[in-house]
Order: sequence, then C-alpha cells, then structure tokens
Amino acid sequence: MKIRIALYGALREADASGRVELEVPAGSSIAELRERLAAHLAGHAPAIPAGLVRRCAFASAEEILHNHRAVPEGVELAVLPPVSGG
Amino acid sequence: MDELHVAVVERRVAALDVAAALDFVGDPRFGGIATFIGRVRDHNVGRVVTGISYDLFEPLALRLFRAIGERARAEVGAPLKLWIAHAKGDLAIGDLAVVVAAGTPHRDEAFRACRLAIEAVKHEAPIWKQEHYVDGDSAWSEGCSLCEEQREAERLDHAGHAHGH
Repeated sequence: MKIRIALYGALREADASGRVELEVPAGSSIAELRERLAAHLAGHAPAIPAGLVRRCAFASAEEILHNHRAVPEGVELAVLPPVSGG
Repeated sequence: MDELHVAVVERRVAALDVAAALDFVGDPRFGGIATFIGRVRDHNVGRVVTGISYDLFEPLALRLFRAIGERARAEVGAPLKLWIAHAKGDLAIGDLAVVVAAGTPHRDEAFRACRLAIEAVKHEAPIWKQEHYVDGDSAWSEGCSLCEEQREAERLDHAGHAHGH
C-alpha cells in the first residue's frame, strides 16, 4: 500500500514538496515504515543525518503512533523530528 | 472544557496577545494568575541570532495542548483556567513565541499549572524551531525525541544532567 508522509522541521529539507510517498506491504508496523523511510532518505536526501529518522516519531493528526502499531491504511501520516517548541 | 483556550497563531496574521490571555484566565473565584511568556532572544550557544522560524504540526499540537490542559487540571486539583498559545512562522527578536497563563484560587496552584503546561509544551508538542544567524546560516534546534524507545534511551543517557532547553 502507498503511504503519504508529511515532513516537518529538519526533515522538510528532504523533499521540497514537504511530503514523501512510500510503498509498504499491508500490515506493516511503524517500525518497518521507519526502516523504509530511512532507506528512502539515504538514497534521495543524503544531507539528512542518518540517525535522525531513528529519533523521529510517527503520528496521525490524532496521536503518536509508536513502533509496534500497524501503519493505518488511507491516512496521511506525519514524521516528527525531535521537538523544540517554546 | 471552556476554561481552556489553546491556539496556534501565524505570526503574519497576529502577535500573541498577553492581555487577552490574562483576561481569559481572570475569574472572581481566582486570586492567583501565573504566566510564562517566551520571547525570541538574540543569541544561542554563542551565536548571534537574527530571527526564528517555527514549524508546527498543527492538528496534533492543538490536541496535545488540550491534553496538557486536562493534565494540569488533574494535577493542581483546583479550579483552573488555562491559556496556551504558540506562534508559527517567521519571528523577529523580541517577538512572543509562547504564552501560557494559569488562573487559580491561590498562587501555588497557578505556578504549578503554568510550569507543568510550559514544560509539556516544550518537551512534547510537535513544534520545531529553526534559528537564523547573523552570518546567514540557519539551523534546526536539536530538541526532544517523541519516539518512546528513543526517549527512554536519552533519559538514561542524560540522567544526572540538566535539561538544556
């Protein structure tokens, strides 16, 4: 299935459109999506530090999705680098 | 709850409004109001800063601000009015980045609610700060990971050290 992921903070610099689209098998976990995103960025955005995706969280508009969660179908996700508000 | 106001304000549209925050948390029942105002400063880690850009994942940030409000209410165990507003977009030195105001019957509750809310906003809300420097360079701040495994690893790693932001 195709997953659209919105990019924020330092990860915005990975793609001028502010999004990436990844293909993952149905039933994949967030941990698997994380690996897929890290591999995609290593190829398409080498300026992004390799360790950054490991420190990111994945989220829908409603909640943070931790590693063990299944990737929801038909929902745009967001990948959230370490936060620095305030 | 209608005693909680949360907002993300695009800087191009408006500045954060401290007077409106104080007005909102005022109440005849309340003898204490505590506020935290975060402003953009002109230096960080030895570099001259000329401005800041804030990026937010707005739907989740607003949801989290509301959750923080509920947590503060449970924590202080007293009537509470709380205002949480964060700026978005391009800010100049001196601009307001964040305003938290808490109104409660007594000062201790107000201080506690305000502190809890600003710390949670800084460490948990999906907000990213990009600093712009006088030499034309820009950098995203390091920040706190929201990934649970990573948070735990960093917590153990930083045990005994002061939190730098």
